[in-house]
Amino acid sequence: MNPKTTPLKSGQLPVRRWHERLNFLNVTVILFLFLTIFAGKSMLTNNRPADVAAGIRYFFNKFFPPDFSDWPIIFVSLGETFQIAIIATFISILLSLIIALGASRNIAPTWLVQTTRMFLNITRTLPSLIWAFLFVILFGATPIAGVFALTFYSLGYLGKFFSETFESVDVQVARGLKLIGASKMQAFRFGLWPNVKAQVWSHSLWMLEYNIRSASIVGLVGAGGIGMELNKAMDMASGFQKVTAILICILGIVILLDLLSQAIRRWITSKVSPKSISE
Amino acid sequence: MLGPSGVGKSSLLSCLCGSEKPTEGTVNFKIDNEEERDPESISPHLGVIFQNLRLTAHATVLDNVLYGRLGKYKLKETLWGFSQKSRQEAYTILEDLGIPHLAYKWMTQTSGGEQQRTAIARTLFHDPKIILADEPVSNLDTYYAGRILGLLRNKAMEEGKIILCALHDPQLINRFADLALSLNPEHPEGWRLRKVHG
Repeated sequence: MNPKTTPLKSGQLPVRRWHERLNFLNVTVILFLFLTIFAGKSMLTNNRPADVAAGIRYFFNKFFPPDFSDWPIIFVSLGETFQIAIIATFISILLSLIIALGASRNIAPTWLVQTTRMFLNITRTLPSLIWAFLFVILFGATPIAGVFALTFYSLGYLGKFFSETFESVDVQVARGLKLIGASKMQAFRFGLWPNVKAQVWSHSLWMLEYNIRSASIVGLVGAGGIGMELNKAMDMASGFQKVTAILICILGIVILLDLLSQAIRRWITSKVSPKSISE
Repeated sequence: MLGPSGVGKSSLLSCLCGSEKPTEGTVNFKIDNEEERDPESISPHLGVIFQNLRLTAHATVLDNVLYGRLGKYKLKETLWGFSQKSRQEAYTILEDLGIPHLAYKWMTQTSGGEQQRTAIARTLFHDPKIILADEPVSNLDTYYAGRILGLLRNKAMEEGKIILCALHDPQLINRFADLALSLNPEHPEGWRLRKVHG
């Protein structure tokens, strides 16, 4: 029986057909479960017999105790890693602010929004390691390659985050200022910027955190920083204990910066209450 | 300007201030025997008190008042803030409207009535020749509604400003308006302009 054709008594809740009751979320979850089951098969068929206990023993023998004898080099490379992350984040913040204006539906015309978003999607698709690889080919094995790689990678993310922030605020405020005589730049500076400022800084700090982690990796393909030392240590037959020392240092600095950046971000969001003014 | 809810008072004001295009005809202003010009090109002379206020939420009350005069400054003059003279002038207006204590409060920390008074203060600070106001006193008590409309009326009488105000309270219209335009929901031909004062 097709419920559509069922005559309804007045006052009775209409029955929806099965496909009307499905929503995108349900479909996605079901699809995801199916795919997981299929993916599980590949785990079973490619199973290699491995002696896990021996593996763990080997790991502890080779990697411990950590060898900190190269600490001056580690220290300098960590500094370089930090510098790569800082410069890349700074450049990408500046560029993303401009690009995000073009990617915001409530600000820019549709053709510009689509072009900009396409560009942002492409930059985000490539992992930072691939970007680093490309720029090492262009610039050689220097920290500059690392800076370029992380800048491009961050652009994709910050451009997206900033444009979403711009889209979440009421542009009527900025338009109102324009109607009473403000220029475009003034309308942005006084009608939009105060309302997005906190979010923009919060996203930027998150990106800095992220870039410090990424900057330790891009060195693996030669783009400067601590990753290059990591690569060298791994190539040496006796370098595993040095690898452990480097990893501990990276972990230390990342945790430290995470804590610091979280504290700053919490302070920013507490200063700016998310409450918007009444309409 | 009065009429039942949904009759088009806000739409008419939106067309007049240029935020919406009329479906038919054009809007032109003629100021001081100059040529007729569209709303956009006279925007520095046009003050608008929006129904939804359109204040910058994450800025102080004083700053929002100062934004009224953006059209008179270049960007570089205002990029890092406003002059002490302007700030003092804006503060005096806040005093007139009974909210000087809110000067350094953020918009988000104020009530609906206080926000409405801030929007009015912004327009008074702007000091335009024409003021379009959409229900400017809807959130205010009788005392402040009367005081603000009185203030606007004085501006019109003494400084020759033109003030077009959508109001729904006939008593306020009888007290403060020179002319009342009644909008008819059925026919635009039925709109009626009558003399109240003067």
